[in-house]
Amino acid sequence: MTIHRRRIYILPTRFGIMLAALLTAMLIGGLNYNSNLGLAFAFLMVSVALVAMHHCHRNLLGLGVDVNPEVDAFAGQDAAFVFMLRNGSPMDRCDIEIRCTDDAAAIKSVSANSYDQVTVNIPVTRRGVIRWNQFELCTRYPFGWFRAWTYVQASIAAFVAPYPRGDRPLPSAAALAGSAAQSEARGDEDFAGLRSYTPGVPLKHMAWKVLARGAEAAVRSYTGLAAQPEWLEWSALEGLSVEARLSQLCRWVVDSEAGYWRPYGLKIPGVAIAPGRGAVHRARCLRALATYLEEDPPQ
Amino acid sequence: MKAAVAAAAPVTYPQLKWICACVALALAAHVAALPLWLLLTVCAIAALRLGLAARGRAAPARFVRLGIAALSIVLLFLQLHTFNGLAAGSALLCLMAGLKLLETQSHRDVYVITLIIYFLCLAALLRGESFWLLSYLIGVSWFTTATLLRLSSATPLPEWQRSVRYAGRILAQALPLALVFWLFFPRFAGPLWQLPEDNRSAVSGLGDSMSPGDITELALSDDIAFRVHFTAATPPPRDRYWRGPVLHEFDGHTWRRTDSRETQAPALLPVGGEYQYRLSLEPHQHNWIFALDWPTRWDLPDGVLTGDYMLVQPGPVSRTLDVVATSYSRVEATLPLSAAMRRRDTALPPDRNPRTLKLALELRSAHPDDMDYVRAVLDLFRQQQFFYTLNPPPLAGNSVDAFLFDTKRGFCGHFASAFAALSRAAGIPTRVVTGYQGGTYNRFANYWIVRQSDAHAWDEIWIEGHGWLRIDPTAAIAPERIERGSSGAAASDDLLANSWRQRIPWFADMRLRLDALGQLWRDRILKFNQDSQEKLLLLMRIPEPDGQKLVVVLAIGLGAALAWLTWQVRRELKPPTKDPLIRAYDRLCRKLAAIGLPRSAHEGAEDYAARIAAARPDLAAAVTALCRRYTQIRYGAGSPDAAELAFISGVRAFRPRRLGVSAKP
Repeated sequence: MTIHRRRIYILPTRFGIMLAALLTAMLIGGLNYNSNLGLAFAFLMVSVALVAMHHCHRNLLGLGVDVNPEVDAFAGQDAAFVFMLRNGSPMDRCDIEIRCTDDAAAIKSVSANSYDQVTVNIPVTRRGVIRWNQFELCTRYPFGWFRAWTYVQASIAAFVAPYPRGDRPLPSAAALAGSAAQSEARGDEDFAGLRSYTPGVPLKHMAWKVLARGAEAAVRSYTGLAAQPEWLEWSALEGLSVEARLSQLCRWVVDSEAGYWRPYGLKIPGVAIAPGRGAVHRARCLRALATYLEEDPPQ
Repeated sequence: MKAAVAAAAPVTYPQLKWICACVALALAAHVAALPLWLLLTVCAIAALRLGLAARGRAAPARFVRLGIAALSIVLLFLQLHTFNGLAAGSALLCLMAGLKLLETQSHRDVYVITLIIYFLCLAALLRGESFWLLSYLIGVSWFTTATLLRLSSATPLPEWQRSVRYAGRILAQALPLALVFWLFFPRFAGPLWQLPEDNRSAVSGLGDSMSPGDITELALSDDIAFRVHFTAATPPPRDRYWRGPVLHEFDGHTWRRTDSRETQAPALLPVGGEYQYRLSLEPHQHNWIFALDWPTRWDLPDGVLTGDYMLVQPGPVSRTLDVVATSYSRVEATLPLSAAMRRRDTALPPDRNPRTLKLALELRSAHPDDMDYVRAVLDLFRQQQFFYTLNPPPLAGNSVDAFLFDTKRGFCGHFASAFAALSRAAGIPTRVVTGYQGGTYNRFANYWIVRQSDAHAWDEIWIEGHGWLRIDPTAAIAPERIERGSSGAAASDDLLANSWRQRIPWFADMRLRLDALGQLWRDRILKFNQDSQEKLLLLMRIPEPDGQKLVVVLAIGLGAALAWLTWQVRRELKPPTKDPLIRAYDRLCRKLAAIGLPRSAHEGAEDYAARIAAARPDLAAAVTALCRRYTQIRYGAGSPDAAELAFISGVRAFRPRRLGVSAKP
């Protein structure tokens, strides 16, 4: 959206008030000494302050700003909103500050006829969906005598997954431990032959030697546990509190995505996500954890 | 949060260097008025702070800073005895700028320093009055503002030149607003409250006594004593005698002034030579005003004429003073000389200058008539080997004897003194008048400049039945001094050889032009006041101007200036103006959009025309022709000037109508 002039507010800063006091003193001095040159200088500085006010206001005027409305985060870390500042005017806009909360702000200059990204990191402490209905765009440029600001009405939300913690092993590892006879040293690396390449396969499963021979790209495939989907289930964590369960599940999701190429699915009360892999799948799982028992379902 | 952090962020070494430069530039305007130790202290502080910063260290500890501050402020107070008044105030401000530099740690301190610098600029302007000073100080504030722009910005700015340019643009946009303020902001007649009078520059010019050689020193000075503009007739050189202190008391060496303010000036009968003039007297720290000859009217409310026709005011002239006056060059006395004055003006020390007394007795026995005697004395100067020189030998003791009989070389003071002694010795009431004679005409602005080098001394004698009569013995010995001025008379003299400036015509002309500009500056800018504002309103055809109307005009003017500023500032936001062809095409598209057929962003001119033709067959021919022409001019080869004009006028004439509104398309 673009900033309209009616929505821009402006007030002097502390330094601006100091300047105003000084300018008043200068005017009184000039008048008292009947000094036309002193008055000329005092009036010039008053006018400079007025011009600076206009420039400060203009610094926001017509500025375009966009934001990704939803971000994912872990509790205790930052939700990183990426704002896009669009400057379609032939002059630089310096020191544009975006402020989402009292302690989350970022500042950036956007040169003429260009756009730039600003990331605002908002610390989030609790799991759940956190929404903000507006953020503030402000500037003190030039000179810092004035502060112009505007509120941008935009609904932004952070889906805060629980912090990944817990020391329970993955269900598959637990199952393995239960039937130790089967695995031994070979583990899940039962090589079962080659199959043709499909996108999304982990690099370490590529059959590089085949590719190097000049043949079509191929992938080594495995049998056994490696091919079985991993089910991360709410019911496997009896005896833990709700948040501890969610944290454990979150850890499992993160570990499974980072681990071997093995699809994983999530089952928590009310939600079941079929096994899969990849960033989108992981985000789906994390959002399911974030929104568990929240009033606001993910859109 | 980050902005608050920026205000508290430490100042780096390069930034500190720029701040020091700003402070130095502002202090430079005050250098002449500051005690030397204060300047050295501020320099030392700046060097200390810079040295610490260069090693990446912070400002000195609090007690060190406080110690330096307390010590220097106490020193300053001991020297000045006050912090009230302009000189003391600005000295204190300069010291504070230096002390603030010492403790400058964060950007917050930078703001305070810039405010001090702005105030220092103002203080300098309250003391000085020249155009150059104003220009310089505007330059200083420009540079300071550019520095502030750089230091206050949270994200690093590109190169310096751009900050300076941006600050310059802000200053330029502030000018119209400042002009409106300056012209129409109501001025007050007097100061809001009384301030202690400043002890201004040292006394210069004529004093209230004259020893041989006094005026010679002045003759070498190029300083301007006053300027005169004659509103009607200009007196010839022989009548251009500007009356200063009149001296009565003679001790054989030095002539002194006895205070005769209590005696009223006897009425004079003007005989001829009436001159009206405006005198702009430079400050000279004495209470007399150099009026022409015999002043009769003046516009000084508290100016009075003494018994010997000196125009004086109660206080010393410490600012430039303007007087409009009328004088006569030929007058006659209406009352006889009182016995007391006759006694005073014939007194001579009996034991001094014996040879002069003897000569006077001899001459007097040969010429019993007063005028005959005077002529005989002047003939004596003319016939004997007397020389007019700017470089006379020093005289001691009986200076008139030494001059008349030994050295015979002198300047106007020597001749006036010797003549007065001879004349008094013969019983003729005589007094010495010091002042200025002549002046340089400034043909660029029709006024006369009288410099210290025009200082002169002459005599006045009392002739029964006529009154006081001016006798200038210098005119007898060097008539060209009167006709052409002191430099003309002594052009061959060694001492004036160094005033080569006066011999180069274009240089002299340039000086005159500059002086004329300076006068214009003074009259139009420095002396701008309530009256000038009323005249300005009358010029704007506002009848019966008063303070209220002035405020209304100020408000309207400010409104207009602010509207202009808003427009100017917003205009810079828009992309630069496109070329007329594209503007015309945009206009065509707007016209078509107005009838409900806007162009899509992806549509080229030909496609658009085809779509219009399909939707509105009645417009097909016109739109297709216009769009084809546009495409040809824009993308075709050849020089398209004529075609472009045709296209632009075609678009202007094109008036599509909405369907259904008009019966006939």
